[in-house]
Amino acid sequence: MTGMDAILNGGLQGYLVVALLLFAIGLATVLLRRTLLMQFMGVELMLNAANVALLAFARFRGGDAQATVFYLFIIAVAACEAAIGLALVIGLYRHRGTTDSDRAAGLKQ
Amino acid sequence: MFITFAFVTLLGALGMLLQKNVIVAGLCMVATFFGVAGLFLLLANPVAAALQIIVYSGAIMVLVLFVIMMLNSHEEEAAQTARPVQRWVSVALVAALAFGAVKLVLTSAGLKDLARSGEPMPGAMTLQKVGTTLFAEHLLGFEVAGILLLAAMVGAVALTKRDL
Repeated sequence: MTGMDAILNGGLQGYLVVALLLFAIGLATVLLRRTLLMQFMGVELMLNAANVALLAFARFRGGDAQATVFYLFIIAVAACEAAIGLALVIGLYRHRGTTDSDRAAGLKQ
Repeated sequence: MFITFAFVTLLGALGMLLQKNVIVAGLCMVATFFGVAGLFLLLANPVAAALQIIVYSGAIMVLVLFVIMMLNSHEEEAAQTARPVQRWVSVALVAALAFGAVKLVLTSAGLKDLARSGEPMPGAMTLQKVGTTLFAEHLLGFEVAGILLLAAMVGAVALTKRDL
């Protein structure tokens, strides 16, 4: 099952293409949207894309449990990132009254 | 099945990218997370699918929606300065990256071999296998992840509290 067939029926390449497109959309969200919350959601999408690729490779290399353990570590780090990132957004909103990343470009208070 | 979940994932992500309202974008993202959980199920990994729904669709999304409602900023603010050149350059770069990477995946001989040798379905991942691997081989990583979560929790409280 390779090529176009793999994409339609869920071969390894199909999962990798989905992961790559998900990563590209997440990257586009970070680059094109100005709201910090939207950029944060884009970063979460990119993390998810990496997880899809990781678990797809694990499945096609014999279903090793190591990949699921690493998936566990990745979501632990993603949860930390969510907590700290949102705390920073709230802190910025308190100081400047905005969640627009363009308006938060300067270091001065 | 695969094509359905792939469509749910990618359409949710596209909706998130294009949606102006932040709350609707957040709900589109929940659709994406459910699609990814479905992909994990098809990859014979129900453990990861359950974790995906609990942690992403549950915890992280609730956190994001709470912050959106707390900040009361449902719409994107008007741009301070329009930057058409940068926006088009970034669109072109992302499109080139996606196109190049997809082409590379479809033409790679190593991936074709791996896809062929991985045809026989291995048994589904069980929580027992994951737990044994986690505590037998990655105990240090597990403890470090615990400390990292504690540090993030303390940091989040310290950052949001007005006067400690």
